[in-house]
Parts: sequence; structure tokens; C-alpha cells
Amino acid sequence: MKKIVDQIGAAVRQWDGPQTQDLVLSPGEFGLGKVPERFKPDDVTTVVCGFCSTGCGLQVHMKDGKAINLSADADYPVNLGMACPKGWEALTPLRADDRATTPMLRNEQTGELEPVDWERALVLFCERFKEIKAKHGEESVAFLSTGQIVTEEMAFLGALFKFGMGFVHCDSNTRQCMATSHVAYKQSFGFDAPPYTYADFEQSDVLVFIGSNLCIAHPIMWQRVMRNRHHPDIIVIDPRKTETAMAATQHYAIQPKSDLVLLYGLANILIASGWIDRGYIDAHTTGFDGFAEFVREFTTCRVTRDTGLSSDQIWLLADTIAKGKRVSFWWTMGINQGHEATRSAQAIINLALMTGNMGRPGTGANSVTGQCNAMGSRVYGNITSLLGGHDPANEAHRAKVAGALGLDPSVIPREPSWAYDEIVEGIRAGKIKGLWVIATNSSHSWVQQQDFNELLAKLDFLVVQDLYFTTDTAQHADLVLPAAGWGEKEGTFINSERRIGLIKKVSRAPGQALSDFNIFKLVAQYWGCGEMFTRWSSPENAFELLKEISRGQPCDMTGIRNYAMIDESGGVQWPFAENASDASTERRLFADGAYFHADGKAKFLFELPREAPDKPDRDFPFILLTGRGTSSQWHTQTRTSKSDVLRQLYPAQAYAELNSDDAEGLAIRSGERVRISSRRASVTATAFVTPTVAPGQLFMPMHYIETNALTVPAFDPYSRQPSYKFCAVKVERLK
Amino acid sequence: MTFAPPDAPLRTLIDDLLAEQQELTAIERFSRKHEHATLPAQARYYRDLIPIRKPATGEQYAFGVDLDACTGCKACVSACHSLNGLDEEETWRDVGVIYGGTVAEPYQQTVTTACHHCADPGCLSGCPVMAYEKDSATGIVRHLDDQCIGCEYCMLKCPYDVPKYSKKRGIVRKCDMCYNRLAVDEAPACVQACPNEAITIRIANIEDTRAHAQPGLKLIHGAFESSYTKPTTIYTTKKVMPANAEPGDIYRLRLEHPHWPLISMLLLSQISAGVFVVLGALVFSAQFERVAAPLAVTGFIALHAGLMLSVFHLGRPLKAWRFFLGLRTSWMSREILVFGMFAGISAPLAIGAWWPWIEAQASRVAGEQAARLLGMGAAAVTAPFPASWQLVPMLAVATAGVAVAAIFCSAMIYVDTRRPFWSAANTFPKFCGTTLLLGLGASAAVLSWLQIAPQLARTLCGAALVANVLYGAWNLMMLRHNLRDPSAPAHRSARTIWKLLRPQLAIRAVLVVLATVIGIAAVVFADSGRTVCATLLFLLTFGSAIIERYCFFTASDGPRMPGGIAA
Repeated sequence: MKKIVDQIGAAVRQWDGPQTQDLVLSPGEFGLGKVPERFKPDDVTTVVCGFCSTGCGLQVHMKDGKAINLSADADYPVNLGMACPKGWEALTPLRADDRATTPMLRNEQTGELEPVDWERALVLFCERFKEIKAKHGEESVAFLSTGQIVTEEMAFLGALFKFGMGFVHCDSNTRQCMATSHVAYKQSFGFDAPPYTYADFEQSDVLVFIGSNLCIAHPIMWQRVMRNRHHPDIIVIDPRKTETAMAATQHYAIQPKSDLVLLYGLANILIASGWIDRGYIDAHTTGFDGFAEFVREFTTCRVTRDTGLSSDQIWLLADTIAKGKRVSFWWTMGINQGHEATRSAQAIINLALMTGNMGRPGTGANSVTGQCNAMGSRVYGNITSLLGGHDPANEAHRAKVAGALGLDPSVIPREPSWAYDEIVEGIRAGKIKGLWVIATNSSHSWVQQQDFNELLAKLDFLVVQDLYFTTDTAQHADLVLPAAGWGEKEGTFINSERRIGLIKKVSRAPGQALSDFNIFKLVAQYWGCGEMFTRWSSPENAFELLKEISRGQPCDMTGIRNYAMIDESGGVQWPFAENASDASTERRLFADGAYFHADGKAKFLFELPREAPDKPDRDFPFILLTGRGTSSQWHTQTRTSKSDVLRQLYPAQAYAELNSDDAEGLAIRSGERVRISSRRASVTATAFVTPTVAPGQLFMPMHYIETNALTVPAFDPYSRQPSYKFCAVKVERLK
Repeated sequence: MTFAPPDAPLRTLIDDLLAEQQELTAIERFSRKHEHATLPAQARYYRDLIPIRKPATGEQYAFGVDLDACTGCKACVSACHSLNGLDEEETWRDVGVIYGGTVAEPYQQTVTTACHHCADPGCLSGCPVMAYEKDSATGIVRHLDDQCIGCEYCMLKCPYDVPKYSKKRGIVRKCDMCYNRLAVDEAPACVQACPNEAITIRIANIEDTRAHAQPGLKLIHGAFESSYTKPTTIYTTKKVMPANAEPGDIYRLRLEHPHWPLISMLLLSQISAGVFVVLGALVFSAQFERVAAPLAVTGFIALHAGLMLSVFHLGRPLKAWRFFLGLRTSWMSREILVFGMFAGISAPLAIGAWWPWIEAQASRVAGEQAARLLGMGAAAVTAPFPASWQLVPMLAVATAGVAVAAIFCSAMIYVDTRRPFWSAANTFPKFCGTTLLLGLGASAAVLSWLQIAPQLARTLCGAALVANVLYGAWNLMMLRHNLRDPSAPAHRSARTIWKLLRPQLAIRAVLVVLATVIGIAAVVFADSGRTVCATLLFLLTFGSAIIERYCFFTASDGPRMPGGIAA
């Protein structure tokens, strides 16, 4: 019977047909292995990913000159054939239905955005901003830009806005993520110079992660940790039991914002125990003695009180650091987004300096960057410093930059820009009347979001330049300019390890969307300052200008011949000066112990810890922590929400993680709706009860618009970075 | 030097830049890499993650997951999607999370999961058309996309929620462990793409797999018991998993697909079966001759309406003729076969039952001779059963028997999925309950309308009334029991009904009460009053049955691997 049925079965089973053919794989060639036959490329090309600062190489599969699919590049030195889900889905957001395809102007009668042509948009753009300038002066229009566009565009924007259009105030969303590292390095090392290369992850015998959920936020960097063959101690200092904390060998769940006290306490133990590298300190640093004196008050007793750790834990941590031969320290937003962030970052730098863990393989005080081109923005944004990390107040620097750009030095303003929060306050005070928002979504991401959105109504003219006309910020815009996205234009990004990587035009921008570079070019022409920017004829020509500006700076990249060289080398790390002797693929800084201060030494910088603003009390008893939710979400989700695959990989609605003991007390169960209120606003979310969040704390991912309604406008005094990770809230069950 | 003609519009910078934006230059401008490479550059990363030999007899390929290396990046899901060219919203892999431990010692673990390529695949045994194949050389459970009829039964059978239906395509698709890649020593997409080497391909010994699938054992916290399908994936960890570890989505109650064509088919076929059972029970009654025709026609119409609607359930109905291929293992195949017999036998009955009427009409109009001729005509139609009136009662009994067998097969389809809510103890009473309740009600209503056998109609109304009360009470009792006892297997289904289907539950309660009142009236009232009441009684019970069946599907709480945080 069985045999008969089998025979009949074989005869009437359809092993092939259109549906089967649909999934057929065939050799992709180009070193790809098998690929879907429908997406068999006729060419491939490598493009650096446009989400985070890891800067992975993505192999774009091309057909008839157009991107049809992609995979991780096996040869790129950053990612070694891997990518996170965002990278794999990088082409999908370009195809979204809500791409802005023409400039759009808000109809004052209907309140709706309506398509207009570029001519009209540009004329209006210039007319309105010029009117404001004429009436309120050069400080009355500002821009808020991004770490998501290419370096050439950032530099063009900064130069155009300040030198061409003659405005003063501008900032970018790098303020929200990397300003602290920027300032900390600049003050400690004399230049904003993250010293490491990703190989250091593989070479350490002790890795200390502070305020970093690397597994989720930078999975492709975590890959390098997993490839470490030295059985390293992996230490995670984080209030939450994160994915990274689970994967660590030691987890220290400190009280939120007790990191500075812990770091000073560790320094005290290391110094008192003689677990320091006196030779290195004497040869390469200044200010150590003052620091040693200063940390004496951070006794183990005080540290246990503030951090909630036991004295055994603190000693184990200090001991592990002391015993390590190649200790690397890594920090991310847990440090950067704090009310005393700069000093916290410098407390980490101090630990690395005093233990001599600098400049050797597997060492370093290493800030893991956020956005794909935050590093580009830090050096070439022309925002707080002059292009190329120069000082706008320094005559020689002004002359050098002006010379490289073929401009009169007098067009370069001496005074620094206002920071993001100062621009926001400028709007409140009626000093800022016009705002140009480029590739960022402030209406979602800025602290105390409702206040920010109310302030936008005070503006005379708001221009939003983005891929989509549907962003939260575009909802407030008077004029929307349609931008081409990653993969639709050319330029360079600089990743976390200072690697300059190339993005290429592999996909056509929809409708009349233009690259930000070309939009700036048009603005220059319509503003009437086009003549000043004739040298900026293409991104690659702009790169030549930036090379020249970088000459002699720590970030010297004059040795990079052209884009083709970047492409062929798998990216090039700065510094790479003309005739540089070391052209190896992975290079770190400070092997020679020479820092960028005039005396060649690094500085110990420190300050007494301050209480966090917006402390919990009886009415608002919980501390709200915010951070990345999943690796499939990116920031305000402008792009990641456009991919069906990514959307399946994260919860659709805002949720708040709540400790199991707290939840029991409040009679809240997982899945129930809760109201979370801060001193500023009230939002609803779904509760998720878990022991991974400590009692008295709440965690909400930043990707949901609800989260920043709650956060507090408190800032680090040096970096002006908002303290996103600490505010008091209460939580109630919704009936 | 060229000049633009005077009337040509001037080309502006905007025009130039818009044109430039549309030029794709990446390929011309940059060097080509691996232009002539045919070997995968990625191979160096995955060479050690796949076996160097093929499975021997008694072995098969299996996924291995090192949980200590799975840190939740979810690259495997995206890579599988892109490297297999799946549809926009389609994923063959998923990443969930389990939580547990104590406040002092919290625990969380992300869990990547795909098809477990089971030793005894539920999808395969349930498929009515043999659209699944367990490859004899590799053990990979492959789905034959062009053989699939889109009945979705495999989705109900798989306890890991692996096969996914594509509405656009009308078929299901699932993970094939990239058998095409493994055949040429390339790693599956997920294995290639995991930055932490958490996913590997191992060679599993099938006997060991079976030994690991003892009752009570599961792949991981929150997974279905392995004894059902003998999944081959092995999850390993050096950490101690706390006993209280639970899937991140355990608290999430979800409504499953209602499958309206199946609801219609089940209810209409059960009306039909009920009516035929009533008719079968009446063969020795004096009324049989009078009621046979209307009841048989009622049963026939209900059955065929149900069967027609059931076709809408299939994504590819034209391929369903292959249903017999699954007879050896699939209750779906058996159901189709038995329903075919049911439909087949109900036709001659529905026609044969008219014999006395035809004879009477014929003799009235054209005399005896014509009647005999007509009889011969009827005999031809109802062949192979001779159109002799004496055979109609036998046909009625046989039809009732086949109807019962059909309802049994229907129930077994659901029982065989092992969903607790669809257990035999829950499904048989439901299917028998509606068969009787609706069969009695429909019979009573039809007889009342036709003013045939009023006493019988009244008795049937009484029986329907009793059935309504008993069935309603039983349903309520079961819900209460399952709700109150957290250890009851169907507890989550009961909670789903209580939390998410409260309005439906309330309406159903109202309908049952109304039906009871109307049922009493139908028994009490005579003639014309009864016609209205009997009809209402049937409609009310039918309405309540629709809701019951809607809950039957939507609250079935299909098992799946641990999911992510649900919000």
C-alpha cells in the first residue's frame, strides 16, 4: 500500500513550477556565493553603511547599473563579512512611499504641504531667510543638522551657512550623541581623537564597557569582542542587565549616574595600591598629582554608598583592571548623555592614562561613536570648531582655511556658534526666527519634546530637508526640501575608529529629490554667493578641499589620493598624511605617547561630582533610563520603520521595562497599559515586567516618540549634551 | 561653439543637477572587485560552522544554536530574507527572548529560531497533498511550493509557527535550511550572517533526537513539547537557565486567524449532518415518507453550500484534486475523502426521497403508464441505487452514518494539531453539539415552514431547546473551569476569550438565552406561531454557533517559539 501511494505520489507531485522557480538560487559570482536567481547581479560595488558609526562595508549587488540587493562585504576590514539587520535592509527605506519627491510648501489656508517646483522653493527659501536676516540680524537664523550626511555635505553646509550666507548659529544632532566625547578628548588629548582601532577589541585581555550595550547598539563591534582569543575579562558597568551585561564575565549594576564616583573611587584604589604606571604618567601626562590628591576622598565606603555596589565588587573590579596587561575602556551613551558627562568620560581617560593602557594593542580610552558620520561632523561640521578641527579665533587657522577654500578670511566669524540647547532657547527668547533642519528629527529626539514643538510655532520660517515629508519635524515645516539618501549620492563617512569610508550612488533618487550637496549648491547660487563656492563643484572636489584643510592637523588625510583609493583600501583611517610611512589597514593613535597638546602630554581633568538634576522624590519615585531598544531600530525610526522585516523585529508601540518587585507593588503586569509621567509630561506605554531593570528604575527605548516627552532639559556644562538617561517619573496602571 | 536656439528654454542649474542626480555612476567610477571570483569570499568565515561530511544513514542536518553567543542582533533574520529573496514582509527566521531569574540575579537570553527540520514533522504528516518532503539524504524538511494548495493546515500542525502563508501567492513557504547552498558546501544564510558564530549546521543522529524528545522535554523554555514532532535543533548554553524563565511574549494573548471559510464549512456541514442524522433516526417512523424529501434537500443544500464556501479557504483550489496523496497520514485528506462520499451519497437520497411525490404527481397528471416511465427516468438518475422507494430508508441510514464519519474527520483535523484548546475532549463535544443542535433546529424549522408533521416539528423544537440549554451550559462550564485553573491546558485560550473576545461572549450568552425563550415558545405555540418560533430558534442557535466557532479558531492559541517583547 505504502509503495503504491508513494509511486502515485511521485507521479503527481509537482517538484517544479513558477513558485519553486521564484526561490531558486544560483551562483552570484563576484565572490558572492549563491544568490536568489531573480536578483543575480551583473556587478557589485562596496558602499559603507549609513546607519551607525561602525561603518560596515556593504556589498551592493547591481543590475543594469542599479542596486537590487546587498550583502555584507567579506573583505571590508571593519565588519569581516557581517552586518546588522539595519545594514542588510539599507536599501529598503529608499523605496518607501512617503519619500519627498518634490519641494513642498505649506499652504497657509489649508495647512497642508503642497508640491512646488525647485525654482519657487529656492526663491522662497532665500527671500524668507534674507528678510529675517535683514530684520533681526545674522544671529536670527540657525540650522540643526546631522551626523547622517556625508562629510563633504556637512562641510559645505557649515561653510555656506557661515561664510556665504553670513549666519552665526548652527549645530547638529551630534550634540545629542557625541559632543561629550568630542570635548573630553579635545581637553584631555588636545584634539578630538578616539585612539583605537577595532582590532583592539580582539587584542585586549580586559575589556571594560561603561554605559554601552554594544551587543544591541553596535553588534558588529561586539563581533570583534567575540573573536578575541585571549579569554578576556569582559566587564560591563550598566544599571541594567543588558544583553551585553549577560554576555559579560563581570556586571556591575551601579545606581544611575553614580559612574563618576565609581570611576574616581577606582582611581583611588589603583593609586593607593600602587597599581599604576608611574613611568607612563611622568613621561606622557600632566596633572596627575592633583588628580591623585583629589580622588583620595572617593573612599570605597563612599563608592559603595553612591553606587550600590559592595566593597568586594569594587575591589574585584579594580583588581581585574590592575591585573590586565592590555586593558581597553569603552564607553557610549551611558556616559555621553549625562549631566557631568565630560568629566565622566575624562575619568575613564584618566584610568587608561594612569595604568599605561594607551597606545598599545588592546588598550585605550575608547569612545564608541553613534551615528555613521558623527566623526565627520565633529571634525568637518564647521560648527563649534572651524573646518578640520581648527580654532576660529586663531588668525593663522582662519587664514589657512580661507586660503584652502579660496575665500577672504574676513568671512569667517570669530565667535563660536550657540549649542543646540542655546538655539532652542534662542527661539524661546525670540532671537532665532528662522530654522533650517537637515536630516534630523528634532521634534522626536530633543528633550522635553512638547516644549520644543511648541517653540517651533514661534519661528517665522522653518525649513526641513529630509528623505521623507512625513517626519515628525516635517509636520511643522513651512517648506520641505526633498533630499536624496544614502546610496543615492557620493561622499565619505568617518567611522568610530577614524576610518574614512566611501558611499556611492547606486540607486536613483525618487522624483526631484536632490543630494544634500546639490541642494547646498543651489542654495549658494540662489543666495547669490555661488561664486564663493565654485571649488565645491562635486563631492570629490570638496573632499580635495577638506584634504588641504586637514594638512598638518592630527586628522591629516592628505595622503588619500582620491575616492578610488578609499574604495580600493577598504577605507583609510586618519591620520594619513602625504608620504605616510605606515599604510596598514588598522592603526591606533598614541603608540609614541605623543598627545596633541602643545607640550605633547595628555591632561588629567577632574571635578567634584554634582547631584543629577530632576532627582526622584515621593511624587516621582522612579528614575527613567532611556536607550536603544533593539538592533533593528535606528533613532527616531525615520528609516527603520520603512522596512517590513525590521518592523517585525521590534515591538510596534512604546513600552517601559519595570522591575518585577516594583511591578508587584503597583499591581502592574506585563502587557498592561501604564501611564508614565515626568515633571514635564505624561505618556502611555505597555508595561514589560522584568528583573533586568533594577528596582526604582524604568527603562524606555528612545525610538518611540513618547520617550522624549518625558526627558529633562539638563545638560553637561562643557559638551552641552542633554542628560537623556536620568529623569524622575512615576508610573500608574491604566484601567 | 553651439548656441541654444532663441526659443529653447534656458537650461538652469536646477535642470543640470536634477539630471545629474539620476545618473548612476558607481560602477563606472570605481574598480570592480572579485570580477572573476567564483568561490564565495565569505567561505573563510563559515567553513568551520558547517559539517565537512554529508549525513550518513540514520543522520540528518540540524541547526545548532550556541545561546551564549546569541546576543540578539537579529542579523540572521535579515540575511535570510535578503539572501533567499523572500517577499517584502516574509521572514523564515525569528529572534525571541526569554526572561527570568531574580532581582539579585536577573536573566535574559535571546533565542534565534527557524524551522527545526523535525524527525517527525507535523507539517508533513498533516499536508493533504504531499507538498512536504523530508529529504532522505539530508533530513531537511522541504516544502514543494508548486504542489501546495494553500490549505494552511501545516500552519496549524506545526507547533513552532514555522510555515507562513502568503496571501499574494496563495501558498505557504518555509525555511529550507538553504539546502541549495549546503549541497555545494556553502553555509545557510543565517549561518553565514551571524557575527558571533552562534548558528551552526550539525549532523544529528535521528535516534538521539528521538531519545531527546521524551514527553515533558522541550527545546527551550516556552517551546512546545518535543515528543510531538521531534525537532532536531539543539540549543546549548553554559549558563544556568533559571527555572522561572519565560518567553518575552508569554503574557501576550493574540487572536489567531478566524478562517471564515472554515467556520462556514464546519457549521453548514454540521447542519447538514444533523439533518441527515435526524432523517436517519426517523426511518422507522410513520412520518418518514413525508419528511424525507424536505429534510434530505435541506441537508443536501447545506452540505453543498458548505463545501462550496470551503473552497475559498484554499489559496490554490485547482490543485486540490491531489488530496488523496495524504490519506496515509493527513486527517485533512481523510476529511476531503469522507466529505466526498457524504456529498456523493446525499445526492441520490435527495433525489430518491422525492419518489412518492413524483409518482403521485405523475399519476395525477398522466396516469399510471407515465408514472412508470418517470420512475424509470428517476432510476437512471439515481443509479447505481435503484430508484425504488424501499431503498430510500437504507440510503438515509447510510447517509447519516457517512455524515457522522465526516464530522469525526472534521474534528480529528483539529485534535491532531495538539493545540490544547482543540483537544478531543473539547472538540468532539463542540462538533457533535452543533451537529445535533443545528440539525434539530434546521429540521424543525423546515418542517414548520412546510407545515408537514406538526407534532414531529414540535418534538424537534423541544429537542433543539434541550440541546441549546445543555450545550450552552457545557460551554460556560468549560470556560469557567479553564479560566479558574491556571494549570488547565486550555487556560490561555480561556483567557483569550475572557480578555479579547468579551463582546462576542456576551452576545453569545444573549443569543443562547433568547434561543431558550423562543424554544419554549416554539414548543408551546401551535402551527403558525411555531413556524416563526422554530425559524427564530434555528437562527439564534446558528448565530451563537457562529460565535462559538469564531472563538474556536481565534482563541486556539497556536504554540510558537519564544517571541520578543510584545507592545
